[in-house]
Amino acid sequence: MLSFIVLMSLVICFSAILALALNFQWGLGGMINFGLAGLYALGAYACAIFILKLNMGFLSSTLLAMLIVSLVCALISIVTLRVSEEDYFAIVTLGVGEMLRLVVLNEDWLTGGALGLSGIPRPFSSIIPSDIYIYFFLAAYVFVLFFCIFLINILARSAFGRTMRAIREDDVVAATLGKNLLWARARIFAIGGLLIGLAGSMHAFYYQYIDPTQFSNIVVAYAIMAVIAGGKGSNFGVVIGSILIMLLLEGSRFLKEIIPGLGSDQLSAVRIIIIGVGLILVLIYKPNGFMKEYRLSVQ
Amino acid sequence: MIHIKNRRKTIKTIGAAVASPIAMPFLNLAHAQSSNIPIGVALPMTGNAGAYGPDMAEAAKRTTELINKSGGILGGRKLQLFIEDSESSASVAANLTQKFINVHKCQSLVGYWGTPEGLSSRPIAIQNKVVLMVSSAANSITEGDTQGYVWRFQMKATDWGTVIGRSLQKMGYKSVGVMGLQNAFILPIMRSVEDQMKGSGRTVTDSLIYNPEQPSYRAEVERIFGKKPEVVCCFSLLPDFVSIMKEVYRGGFTSKVISLSIAADSEGKFLQAVGPQVAEGIRHFQPMPDTSAPGYKRFTKLMGAPESKLFLFPPNTHDQIAVTALAMERAKSVQAVDWSKQIINVCNGPGEKVDDIVEALKLVRAGKAVNFEGAGSTCDFTNSGDQLGRGMGQWIIENGKNNFISYEKP
Repeated sequence: MLSFIVLMSLVICFSAILALALNFQWGLGGMINFGLAGLYALGAYACAIFILKLNMGFLSSTLLAMLIVSLVCALISIVTLRVSEEDYFAIVTLGVGEMLRLVVLNEDWLTGGALGLSGIPRPFSSIIPSDIYIYFFLAAYVFVLFFCIFLINILARSAFGRTMRAIREDDVVAATLGKNLLWARARIFAIGGLLIGLAGSMHAFYYQYIDPTQFSNIVVAYAIMAVIAGGKGSNFGVVIGSILIMLLLEGSRFLKEIIPGLGSDQLSAVRIIIIGVGLILVLIYKPNGFMKEYRLSVQ
Repeated sequence: MIHIKNRRKTIKTIGAAVASPIAMPFLNLAHAQSSNIPIGVALPMTGNAGAYGPDMAEAAKRTTELINKSGGILGGRKLQLFIEDSESSASVAANLTQKFINVHKCQSLVGYWGTPEGLSSRPIAIQNKVVLMVSSAANSITEGDTQGYVWRFQMKATDWGTVIGRSLQKMGYKSVGVMGLQNAFILPIMRSVEDQMKGSGRTVTDSLIYNPEQPSYRAEVERIFGKKPEVVCCFSLLPDFVSIMKEVYRGGFTSKVISLSIAADSEGKFLQAVGPQVAEGIRHFQPMPDTSAPGYKRFTKLMGAPESKLFLFPPNTHDQIAVTALAMERAKSVQAVDWSKQIINVCNGPGEKVDDIVEALKLVRAGKAVNFEGAGSTCDFTNSGDQLGRGMGQWIIENGKNNFISYEKP
């Protein structure tokens, strides 16, 4: 059971980083990203390709993957400068995400197509003894997660963070106050892209096999749920939201052991209902999420 | 800027969070295990393949009950199933596999209908030295060094193409169009059919691969059917095949259509979705058990169904559970590292041919050699874990009914 908890905690770590990215771009910056799944796939595949086909180390592969996703995100934000309304921007990001997903699915020579890429080695797996490796792996992932929260918090509380919130509330006012909208939007989306690339790389290391079916739009749905449940704009809240989603998804599998007579096909239907009901309850009793966005206050 | 006091608190929190996983192995959190032998069963109850999971689960339960009622294995130990929904998803299946291994301590994992589920769980099974038995067709499942832990209870994808291609030639079609879903097990089938058609001097008018989950397949249908081949091979899954056939009907195209039963039947769901007019004349193929074999007839009785009822996938699950029990009994061990080596012995022989799992277990307990003949096939395997002896059925939809035509082996 302990091993399973450790493994699910690993999933929570990179899911939380993905949700942090969305929170940074949308919660703080007001730029909703419906292309999250495609960008996530880009990060995972880039890392896997560098390791498997170019024999690069895990650190350089991860950093390059982060950079690639960041550049793509910056490009998206630059070409969509005229599309300032949230709805239209969301549609553009959805289109980009779908494009990336289809490239990954169809370019067999690079990505393995529908077969995907397998045999992705985990960092230091040949050095650390296998019986304690998973604990080292978790410690590393937890460290990375908290480091990301730390850095994002610093950014959020800085002058740049104030600019982000100004753009989120009203970009016209921010522009009239002399803020460079193009540069700010590009930075917001690019920094979020770094986190998405990191989450994708961590996903690839964890599963050691990636295929296009792992990056469907349900990924975006879970990230949005984590941000809303945790509290839009709150980084620690997003981690709590990710934990809640994982508890609902994986914890509900153990219902069979609690409810006697519950068949396996009934359980699969009940789980989906529970996940939906759980989220509705969170929204009723905690409509602003578990934690509030940080606001500087004068006492 | 973070206050100095808060910064220290933050660093302490991070340090504790990072240190706690390192401390975990030193905590003694072992719990007592029962004498039951756990088997993990991952089946698609929802998603693209959700139509097949419930019957496969029922087959697993009834086979397990039969074995347990006849005394279990290894001195009376009972098999215990943990059946979960794989949601037709690779990452869900991988998480399930971890749960089976780490929570329930399963040494045998069965079910795994789809290729993505099998491929994502394969490295986990090999790393943890547990046996993985799949019903997936993609060639890559058993490629490379599986160390004897991965076993396929299904016909390989390239063999599907061999049988379909041969049937097309027998039917006398001179021109064929081919379209298929971008999917790991469909691509080898498509390539095999095209190669056979070209090799026998027939014309492949066009060939295309389409993406899943498109809102419309009109452009693809126009391209392939528009060239008016005599027959179009459309290798799909149910959702896209429904969409394609509606477009074909709307467009008034007259080419004959050949598909797979997982698309054109899917336990009756295709006919429900499109109606008899759209489905009229479609031929479909699917690997299936030999319904005349005594092992299959015994299975239908176990399921409480008439002998004429066709089960495509549930017999595989029956065989997976049966082979697990036999191999464990033969090895006198529940550890996969021991009994995986006995799978070929109990399935291929040499030994007494037996199709009843209860009789087979009695013989193995008595120290006799057996050659188990399962419900889904003769249960013979290559050393790489591929199943031999499974054939393919052909049906045609006429007047809203699926009519069986033939059964053929590759």
